[in-house]
Amino acid sequence: MLKAGPAKKVTIYVGEDHQYHGQSLYSAILNFLFYRRISGATVTRGLAGFGGDHHLHTTRIEALTGDLPMKIEFIESAEKVDEVLPKLHELAGTGLIEIQDTMVVKPAETSKKKPVQEAHPSLKRESKAKMMRIFIGENDKWGGQPLYKALIESMRANDIAGVTIYQGILGYGANRRIHKDSALHLSHDRPMMLSVVDTEEKLLAYFPVLDGMVQQGLVVMSEVDIIKYTHDFAATERRKEARP
Amino acid sequence: MKLAGTAKMLRIYFGEDDKWNDKPLYRAIVEKCRELDIAGATVFRGIEGYGASTLIRRTHHLTFSHDAPLMVSVIDSEEKIQKLLPLLDEMVDEGLIAMSDVEVIKYVHQDGVRS
Repeated sequence: MLKAGPAKKVTIYVGEDHQYHGQSLYSAILNFLFYRRISGATVTRGLAGFGGDHHLHTTRIEALTGDLPMKIEFIESAEKVDEVLPKLHELAGTGLIEIQDTMVVKPAETSKKKPVQEAHPSLKRESKAKMMRIFIGENDKWGGQPLYKALIESMRANDIAGVTIYQGILGYGANRRIHKDSALHLSHDRPMMLSVVDTEEKLLAYFPVLDGMVQQGLVVMSEVDIIKYTHDFAATERRKEARP
Repeated sequence: MKLAGTAKMLRIYFGEDDKWNDKPLYRAIVEKCRELDIAGATVFRGIEGYGASTLIRRTHHLTFSHDAPLMVSVIDSEEKIQKLLPLLDEMVDEGLIAMSDVEVIKYVHQDGVRS
């Protein structure tokens, strides 16, 4: 929660067309800030501008409109800014990040107080790890969006090594209600399972966040051995180039 | 219904076309689990696989041949799972049943969400 007094104002400049893992970069940054519980952030789209590459991006000529400048701004305490800065560095890519001292005269008020969540960066990889399986329903919601989507985004923001969602075709759980996928009705409350792998330490640290989000369901943990955990950066680059 | 601490997870692998008493096997298994008051069961459909019969199973969207690989995941206390095992043994003619240890971290439901 941001209090009145000295704080930092961070501004990140990126291009509208910049991508990060298949989504637009500015929304990836906004999601990251949201799930790291930054007090607030605003994205503004510029009308025209140029940056490090000295290309003029403008709306002037309709046909050439593209990659307009996007500005993401947020105000936070110096400690919180330090905490998210390394990840922002990585996210911003070729964009510019600016930090200035500012003074909060009147903090924004929220209707209800939310507990401040501690962040846990630093991803360690070791041979012994834990697999967490979360069983929920497709229709479960959190903050107005599907719970499974919110969980994935919150895991990404908390630097969890990886997660996969599986959609079941039939099942029941704690509330004894059968969830099923029937082609005839448009009721789509299928059972969903998220399988998450990371170190025990990371998963336990993330659990309070998960606990607050999952209102009904089952969470179990088991031992796994990590055999391989790699990413082919070269292939990702190739795919990017192949895309128009 | 309470479930906490150490529990067992059962995974049963078979085909979507497998039947038991003229009814899809996966449905029969889920119903049997409910009968035994097992904490929960979920059926997942795979997109490709092979197993004991070394037959490649695949879902075809164009043809209506639908023998996709299925996996049923069942979690409960060891005692409850042991009760289920002999019944499963009878029901699953061709397939694989695997068991592993799991730690239950959370098991909750909201009353009144029932539909």
